[in-house]
This record gives sequence, C-alpha cells and structure tokens, in this order.
Amino acid sequence: MAVETYLEAITHALAQEMERDERVMLMGEDIGTFGGAFKVTYGLGERFGAERVRDTPIAEAGIVGTAVGAAITGMRPVCEMQFADFVACGFDQIVNVAAKMHYRLGLAVPLTIRLPSGGGFSGGPFHSQNPEAWFMHAPGLKVFAPSTPRDAAGLLCTAIRDPNPVIFMENKSLYRRAKEEVPEVVEEIEPVAKVVREGDDLTVVAYGAMVGAALEAAEASGRSVEVIDLRTLVPLDLRTVMDSVAKTSRLLVVDEANETCAAGAQVAAAVGEHGFELLDAPVRRLATPDVPIPFSPPLEAAVLPGVESIRRAVDELADY
Amino acid sequence: MSSPTTEQTVEVVMPAMGTSITEGEVIAWLKQPGDAVAADESICEISTDKVDSEIPAPAAGTLAEILVEAGQVVEVGVTLGRIAAEGSAPVAAPVAATVEEEAPPPASGNSQASTSGNGRASTSGNGKDSGNDKAKRFYSPVARRLAADRGIDLDQVVGTGRNGRVTKRDVEGFVATAAKAEPTLHTDSPYRPDPPPPPAPVPSVNGHPTQPDELGGDPQPLSRMRIAIGNAMRNSQQTAATCHTVVECDVTALEARRRELGVTALPLVARATIETLREFPDLNATLDGTTITRFERVHLGIAVSLGDDGLIVPVIKDAQDLSIEGLAARIKDLARRGRAKQLDPQEVQGATFTITNPGAFGASIATPVIDVPQVAILDLEAIVRRPVVIADDAGSESIAIRSMVNFVLGWDHRAVDGVYAARFLGQLRATLQG
Repeated sequence: MAVETYLEAITHALAQEMERDERVMLMGEDIGTFGGAFKVTYGLGERFGAERVRDTPIAEAGIVGTAVGAAITGMRPVCEMQFADFVACGFDQIVNVAAKMHYRLGLAVPLTIRLPSGGGFSGGPFHSQNPEAWFMHAPGLKVFAPSTPRDAAGLLCTAIRDPNPVIFMENKSLYRRAKEEVPEVVEEIEPVAKVVREGDDLTVVAYGAMVGAALEAAEASGRSVEVIDLRTLVPLDLRTVMDSVAKTSRLLVVDEANETCAAGAQVAAAVGEHGFELLDAPVRRLATPDVPIPFSPPLEAAVLPGVESIRRAVDELADY
Repeated sequence: MSSPTTEQTVEVVMPAMGTSITEGEVIAWLKQPGDAVAADESICEISTDKVDSEIPAPAAGTLAEILVEAGQVVEVGVTLGRIAAEGSAPVAAPVAATVEEEAPPPASGNSQASTSGNGRASTSGNGKDSGNDKAKRFYSPVARRLAADRGIDLDQVVGTGRNGRVTKRDVEGFVATAAKAEPTLHTDSPYRPDPPPPPAPVPSVNGHPTQPDELGGDPQPLSRMRIAIGNAMRNSQQTAATCHTVVECDVTALEARRRELGVTALPLVARATIETLREFPDLNATLDGTTITRFERVHLGIAVSLGDDGLIVPVIKDAQDLSIEGLAARIKDLARRGRAKQLDPQEVQGATFTITNPGAFGASIATPVIDVPQVAILDLEAIVRRPVVIADDAGSESIAIRSMVNFVLGWDHRAVDGVYAARFLGQLRATLQG
C-alpha cells in the first residue's frame, strides 16, 4: 500500500482496469503521448498502445458518440473531457443517446466519462464549473463524485465495471492536494454515502472538494459536527443522510456547484419531505451563488463556499 | 416611541396545563403590586382540577397590577396580571415573540426583532395583543414529535434556542430532569415491592366497568338519543327476521337527470321507490305480530344523520303525491329542521317505508336494520364510476365507464320472501335505468 495523490490513484485504477479487462480503452484530447491536460493518463499510452489510449480530435460530441458506439458493441470506453466545462459539446450524445439507449433499445452502455471539475485556481467561467446536476437530471446516468484518492480509485473501478453510463466527477483541486494510502489492488466501492466524521450537534452533507472544507470547518467550530461524504450523487444515498439527521436534527448541505437545482437541493428537498419530524431547525444550504465563476482570485474566493463560510453556517445553524 | 427606555408591560396569563384543562383557580399571589420580580421567578400559585402549579414571571421587572385575585377561577389564556418590564423590548421576547419573527433571518436578522421598527414586536399597553400570546410560541417539528411521544406539555419547557425557541435538546433535558426528580423507593435494598393490585372494577347494572381503565377510558352515560336508537334497533333485531338483498344499478342516466334538475340522487330514487312500492304493497306495510297492514299511501321515512350525536328519521307524509322537485324540497326542509332539532313529534312517526342514504358518506355496502313495525328499509349506497359490460341494441357487448350504485334492501322474512324482495329491487332498477 503506497501513498498516492487523488490523480495518481485515478491513473492507478485506470491502469489496473486496462490490465484486467482488454475491453477497457481510453479516449480523449491529448491523452496519449502528452498524457492529458492534467497528466492523468501519463504513461498509459506507452504501456497499452495507441489502439487502447486514443487521441481524438477536439470534438466532444465525436468522442462521446464514438464511445457509445464502442460500448454497445462490447468495449468499455473511458472518455476524458479535458475540462468538465467542455462536456456541454457532448451533452446530446450523453443525455439523449447514452442515457436512453437501454430504455429505448435494451442495450447496455458500459461507458465512463471523466470530468475534471471545480474551481479555486482562477480558471474563470469556462474552466471551473461543477456541472454534475445537469446529469443527475437525465434518467439513465449514474453520477459519481469521490473526494479522496481511495474513493476515486475504487469508484472508478465501480464505474468502469458498471453496465450503465457513469459520469465521473474529478475535482481538480483534489488532484495533487488529496493524498492517502491506496491499496495495491483496487476494489470496487459500493455507491453509498460515508460518515467521515461523527458528531451530535448537526450534520453537514458535502461531496467532492467540499468534504475537506467541511471537515476543516467542523474542526475549527469546536462543535460536535457530523460530516457525510455523499460520494455518489446518482444513486443518492438518502438513508445515511436521514439516519444522521435523526440523530442531530440539524442539516447543512454544501455544494461547490451553483445553488439552483444543485445536488444539495435534492438532498435538502428529500429531508424536508421525508424527515420533517426529525428537524429542529430549517435545512440550511450553502452553495456557489448563481453566477459564472470569476477569474479574479478575490472574487472567486468570495463566491465559492470555503472553510470560513461553512464554519459560519455551522455556528448559525447550531445556535438556531 | 423608539426610545429604548420606554417601559413595556408583559402580561401574565393562565397557562394551558394540558389539552383537557380549560380553567384554573388562582390560589395565591406570591408577589404584590410594586414588588420587583426576576424573570422566571414564581409569582403566583394556581390550581386546576388536574394539576397545581406556580406561574413564573414571563419577564423581569415590577409587578404592575393584579387583575385576577386569589380564589377566582378563570379560563386558560385569561390575563392574571401585568408586569412592567425593566429596560426595553428584548425581555418581552419570550411572551411577545411572534411566528413571523421566527422566519430564518439571514445572518444580520437578530437585531430586527427588538427594534420594533415596523411595529410588529408587541409594544402592548393597549392590551390588543393579549389572548394570543400562548399560541405564539414556535416549536420545531422534532420538538413537537418528542413531546407527543413522551406526553410532555411543551409550554412547560424552557427554550434555549434563538428567541427562546424550544429545541430538541431542551425537550430531552426536560425529560431527563423529570426522570431524575422522581423519588427512589429504596436506597438500601434492591428489593422492590410488587405494584399494588388494580382496584376491582365496579360493575354497573349492565356488567361493564365504570372505573376509567389504564388506557385512559372515560365512562360517560349514553345520550338520550343514543339510548332511544339503541332500544329501537335492538327491538328490531329481536323481532324481525331480517334479510338483505342487493342489486347493482346503472344510474348514469339518473345522474344526468339529477344534474339537470339541480337535486341530489335521493329524491329521484325516492320517487322511483314510491312508484315501485305501489306494485309491491307487501313492502309498504307494517307487521304487528301476525297482522300485516298494507298501505295504499306511502309515508316515506328518510334517515338523517345528526353527525356523531345520532340520527333521526323524519317522515314525508303522502309522499306518493309529490313530484321529484317536491320530494327534494321536503327532504331538504326536514333534514335542516331535523339537524336544528325543530321537528314536531308527529313529523318523525308513522312511516310505512324508510330510505337510508349512507352512500352520501362514501359507503358502498351496508346491512340496514329495519325500523319495525315496518317490513323493509332501502339503503342507497355511494354512486361510483365503474367499468361495466354494456350491450347495444344489436347485442354487441363492450366495456364502458358507468355510474353504478348498490341498492341494499333490508326486509323482514316474516312478511315476504327473497324472490319478492328481489323482484321489487329488479323493478326499481328497471325504473331508474329507464
């Protein structure tokens, strides 16, 4: 077991799955020789050859469309969007073709699409988005959003072996910052949420980069805060959330995505509907306001939820 | 008006001690007008038929006046006295806090409530706000659920949340304290005596216990109406050989017709029943021992529900002379006066046949009890839309959505046989289906 970054863990899982199953192949822009914009596939081209690590034109609809075709004929393609923001160009192929293929024609589409997402490094409006909710709204897709290297590796195995199309969110800010020991042989992880910090005063639900921020905020608050990492958004594990709310009676939901109709909105609505009698205070949400992500570092810091804003929300909710 | 030193008065009200308690007696005042009082300090002793208690001061200040003297009994919510609160509004919050103020304020909201800039916070004085105060306390869903589960009166729980809100923790703390307060039986021995045996139930005349049982039963004498209904029904069950026959009737056409006339289905059914009865005189009759009396005229009884109080059966005399509209008007009038208890005794006697209509409340089948000495009762059940097999003139069949109803006839086998009852119902159905 070696310490790996979030990025290395993903590379690790990709290599393992390609080794394990020759139907697994990679497609994306500059992922071969260059190793991808973030170097996630670095070395895989050399190791597995250009047949299985394919450089594509700059055409996301083409990448996804080709991958859907490959998937229904038995391959297990893993597509890389250079930035999650660019997935919009391939949107129709994902939500109308891949997502509905099984419903319409009974065909499995074992396809994984990797989306490097999130802000925090002055990438501006085209390189910082968190578009996971777009895909949560399209029946037929699964959406994973791991927050740790081990979860990233395990859930990527789960995604690749899943017969359904999976949108795999990789928060870029975790790529080199998140580090932990990852087992040599990566096992599949069941798509359920995880209590990553136990507490009694209130529950914070987060995923992706917000999990780390929530943990830091919980520590800083000095309160007994329970933190839940959703890990997968579709399927959404409400049981774990509800069990926690039954204990704490107070819920804060944090999204790095824009506020309206975000994953956290779904959690808040479900708890409001099914957990009303568990609540001691209104469900509180914290998310990026409905604005594009600014280039300006201070402006970007102002719109994204962070340790400080989460801690404030924790205090207000606990004192309600 | 905006001066922070303005003195405010806070009302001391007779608290609700539980759902069944509506009034309480002031036993003694522990403070006199002019005395300084601290918040939550006991200022008054009260007694209800279930609990004795002390009332804590809702605010710190001076007891300004006593409105209800010791020895007087007043209803829950009545103002017992007033406290001149010290300082400004914030101390008044536990009593005066309104539901609106509980709306989650974004970050800066806290100072809003106390400045009363929009006049919403109670600045009392004119007593306009009185009476509602106890209803203004807000309880979160979980606090309400816990209180309901554990039988706690939330008014008794001190709130520590924002604006004195009672939180889940407050309720749990209240339960823990209450549990601790219970005296232990023994401190030196693990032995616990057996619980005293329950007192033997005192049998009443009919053998039922008259003591409230452990489930919180509350024996009450039956109302006179219930006793009367009970005696009549038991008499029927002991006298008549009651049987029931059911037919299903397509009332799609009837439904259209009643809408045209702007009446309920009951007068149309009543009219058809009267016509049919004239061909089946054995059912428009009374049976007394071995004497059956068949009537040419129809005095039609219509069962009218009085809600939970019981029912009454006013009688439409010479119903055979009335049109559908006339029947509708009479039914309406009798039902209205029946519910207002304004019927004359002769208006509820002398029926030759009775129609009951539980279908108006959604019942689809029932077994009505005959109002002896009459020999039959017709039950009009709920009209429901159902798929049924229908045939056109050429005999080809299809499934259609039709308005269907069950007619249940309760009849006395001493007077007629099943075939007669079935024929009556068949004829009624034919009349109604047209």
